[in-house]
Amino acid sequence: MQEQDYILFENYLSGDLSSEEITDFENRINTDEDFKQAFTIYKELSAHLEQEIGNEDNTTDFRANLDSISHRYFTKLDIEENPVEVKKTFSVYKLAVAASIALIMGFFVFNQFSGGADYYDFNNHGTIDFTERSSEDNVGLLIKTTKAFNNKEYKEAKSYLEDLLKVNPENVEYNFYYAITNIELDNFDQADSILGTIVNGNSAYKNKATWYLALSKLKQDKEEDCIKLLKQIPEDADDYSQALKLLKKLK
Amino acid sequence: MSEKKIHEDQKYVDGLVNNNSFIIQAIYDKFAPKVINYIRQNSGDAERAQDIIQETIITIYNQGCQKKLQLTCPFDAYFFLLCKRKWLNYLKKSGNKEVTINEEVLSKDDDAQELSFESSIFEGKQALFNQMFQKLGDACKDLLKATFKIKSMEEVAASLNVSYAYARKKKSLCIGQLTKLVQESPTFNQLNY
Repeated sequence: MQEQDYILFENYLSGDLSSEEITDFENRINTDEDFKQAFTIYKELSAHLEQEIGNEDNTTDFRANLDSISHRYFTKLDIEENPVEVKKTFSVYKLAVAASIALIMGFFVFNQFSGGADYYDFNNHGTIDFTERSSEDNVGLLIKTTKAFNNKEYKEAKSYLEDLLKVNPENVEYNFYYAITNIELDNFDQADSILGTIVNGNSAYKNKATWYLALSKLKQDKEEDCIKLLKQIPEDADDYSQALKLLKKLK
Repeated sequence: MSEKKIHEDQKYVDGLVNNNSFIIQAIYDKFAPKVINYIRQNSGDAERAQDIIQETIITIYNQGCQKKLQLTCPFDAYFFLLCKRKWLNYLKKSGNKEVTINEEVLSKDDDAQELSFESSIFEGKQALFNQMFQKLGDACKDLLKATFKIKSMEEVAASLNVSYAYARKKKSLCIGQLTKLVQESPTFNQLNY
């Protein structure tokens, strides 16, 4: 194909041809196989780029949501198929010993925690891997971000995430982890405002953001705000059991 | 295709396109067990099944977003065939020669065969398109990224500091270049053009 053919394709697709030109164009499609094939590919490439680039943010949200549903489904499947075996031959004697040990332990544990709930008992962020969803040109930066975050080097992670957000300011995943680094670094205003936006949105990070907003309040000693947020976390959320645990400590 | 009646299970495709968690969950609950069973019976495990299912759903999502997927058969049959084909391709690629495939007639639904075949082709095209995009020069890449991100050609031209006419022409030529790269690639013949 010549340059002017591609320009013609574009004009046809964007509806910039006169009705006469359209008739000519469609005639050519019906008679010239090469022209038709090139146009078909051109059209599909345009739709593909529209999806890959134009719809990138939605796709990122979709993948994150799919990831978490898939993960939940297969974890549940694994638990159903490999239940932890419960030993039935547990004699009364052993039970008595176990009970007294539990009592002593309980006493110490109670003593240790009676001082209240602490952010650092709950700030287990898990390991992340940003490179799973990398696109062409930012793999290096994503690897650096992943490493820094997992190594708890939050200052570094924060500055890498800032670079990522410059290119992709709407990316929910980057924003979410950026907020976590800000909690870790005591930049609460910034963390709370980002998390607040995610909580009010509709992404896969909605519940997680509520949990972290609660943790941020905990770290700021705003216990009442923390409790309010914890109560908003639904039962099917990943962090529900953690939220319950924290709630019990706060009450 | 267009004269055929759209199956009510189109709701699954539309649900994926709209990122509807309820629908995604329903797809797992209803259709995943059969796929997991099949993969387990054919040299795989749950972990492999998890990847295959996830990749298949992403293909359906992409195809649905481009409005190229109109389901004229039950989702069940279509989804299973698509996962199955993907799994067999994976086995072929990993060179596992001891595989015995339990071939059974699972779907006599011609529409399901045809649709799942189209989706496999679609997926092959997407992969090739992405690969070829990487071969473009930086100028074309940047221009196309800006064009499809910003949408308004006037703004694109302004952001790249070029005239509107130039940006517009350049866009056609860059996609033209991509068209050529696709046609010249060694896997082009497998794509049914």
